[in-house]
Amino acid sequence: MKKIDLNKIKNTDWKKAARDFWYGKPHGERRLGELYMPKTGLYKHREWRGVKDTFYYFHNIWLYNYAQMVMDIMKFGGPVTFAKGLWRYRWMGQTYLPVLHWFDRGLEGMRGEALRASAWHYRAMVCVTINQFMGMFKADANLHGGEHNDAWKHTIAHKETVWGGIFYPWQDQFTNIPMEMIPYFVTCHVNNHTVLNYIDAVQSIGLPGDPCPMCQAEAGLFVLDDMPDYAPFVVTTNEACDGSVASTAIQDWYLDIPLFAMPQPMQFDDPLVQEHCANEIRECWKFIEEQTGVPFDWEQLKKRLERQNELQRFEWEKWDVAANTSYYPINGVAQALYRIYQSQYGDHYIWHDVDKRVRKIMEKCVSQRIDTFPKTRHRVIAWSCAPLYFSNWCTWAYNCWGLNCVINMDSLMFDMTIRTDSLDDCVMDMAKYHEWAPMRRMAVGGMHHIFELWENMERFHCDMVMMYDQLQCKGMQGVHGLFEDEFRARNIHAIWMPHALPDKRTVSRSEIRTIINDYMTTVMQEEPLDPSLLDFDDSESW
Amino acid sequence: MRKLFKILFKVLLIGAGVYAALFAVFFFDLDGKALFYGVEPFLAKHYDKMARRDPLSKAYKTDTPNYEYKV
Repeated sequence: MKKIDLNKIKNTDWKKAARDFWYGKPHGERRLGELYMPKTGLYKHREWRGVKDTFYYFHNIWLYNYAQMVMDIMKFGGPVTFAKGLWRYRWMGQTYLPVLHWFDRGLEGMRGEALRASAWHYRAMVCVTINQFMGMFKADANLHGGEHNDAWKHTIAHKETVWGGIFYPWQDQFTNIPMEMIPYFVTCHVNNHTVLNYIDAVQSIGLPGDPCPMCQAEAGLFVLDDMPDYAPFVVTTNEACDGSVASTAIQDWYLDIPLFAMPQPMQFDDPLVQEHCANEIRECWKFIEEQTGVPFDWEQLKKRLERQNELQRFEWEKWDVAANTSYYPINGVAQALYRIYQSQYGDHYIWHDVDKRVRKIMEKCVSQRIDTFPKTRHRVIAWSCAPLYFSNWCTWAYNCWGLNCVINMDSLMFDMTIRTDSLDDCVMDMAKYHEWAPMRRMAVGGMHHIFELWENMERFHCDMVMMYDQLQCKGMQGVHGLFEDEFRARNIHAIWMPHALPDKRTVSRSEIRTIINDYMTTVMQEEPLDPSLLDFDDSESW
Repeated sequence: MRKLFKILFKVLLIGAGVYAALFAVFFFDLDGKALFYGVEPFLAKHYDKMARRDPLSKAYKTDTPNYEYKV
């Protein structure tokens, strides 16, 4: 048994202990790294954030989100459908049960309004995720003895890189569900163990290891027979790059259902391609009309686009606060994931609910001048495609080094509203919106666009760049040297973060942290705010 | 009246017990530990053993219609 150290008790500053209990330890004394259990990333105990924030976390995040998840499952299909899906699909059972740990990782060390606003973003993403997988399970012939039920007949499948807005004209009668958003993309953030099965599966049939691991994993889902049979036809695209076309070939083989390919031009600045791109969308609509037997509904499209424009306008307000003040209450990971999810998936009621709540919090921060990230030493912009298995690096970097990731490239992609005054204007804007997709607009959209970094650095008043280095993205590898030159010429502090998108085996989270630590100590000559976070083993963590 | 208070007291006591238990689960990350050491390995084993169709055995049809439209 551990001996009680009487000297320690004698020397305790009880006033300070009481203050730490009530308000939580100040940043710098928290030693968050000591909360982890070795390797697993589990907590010996969750963080004590002071009475107010600990109980906010307990009631309004932990309990509330568990309860809301149950409610969402009941609302979107019921527990039987959920249990069937959980038992059948690895990406469901293995990934989504520990979802609250995803919150924990993203919200570590957060306090006050930053904790509240960031957590609301997570809530929205969880709701849309449940909505999608329950939609898949309700319609899935694999779970219904091979029967193609009414839900199956009223669901449209598409690649996750096809923007959900393409299907707005049918959304009063049909549900569109991207094939890979839930079985692949979101899983990597929540539990990065699952995706490795799919990468290995596609390599086991002969694919070399070096193509984009996103496309590998998307194809691997089909190789492992882990994709629900939930729709009678599918719409695909070459977004974000031609790797996507290759994975579509495998998907087409296994799906064996009517498929419409809707490619978008890579070099989209050429005005001659806009008409072509708009016609691709019109053709896609003809295909949907033919497959569903339901005519295109302009009023539906208008209504949904106007709702989506509302989301975009609020996003601009958020960017304005993020760029010009220190009162922005959303942390780097919540900003990045919420924005990419919302703008790619399209309109959903929960985005509006959450935006209302976040607006309230943000207005409070601005009107009361609340410095939401008071230990900020550097304002960071993250550029290129992020490591999905370590999207919460920004939370760690703020806690450990005071690096505040204010904005990132993927957030800035769909930087537009869509005109609804006439169908012609609308389709032209929709074409442009689709061309501005994640990993497309900047990463493979041409030199001018990838170098939008410089103007955004100024716009968001950033003094440092976290330059993602996706080792298996041939497009971005091609401009590596140009960036090196530009960083030197412009005297910009940039940290290269190598990674292999969803695959943590290539560059581990620990290696990423070491790279940042080395830069901060050797180049910046700074001391960590929380030395306990410098080095810890989370190799088996979700 | 006394009986009513007794029942109310019992309900309160049970409520407080449940609340304390939930807080212990939350604070000591017992949900995470149960999922990491119990649920995930169990489910992973189940998925590993699951019989799956072999998609490679299916022919890749190239005679599907080419969906092109005049717009």
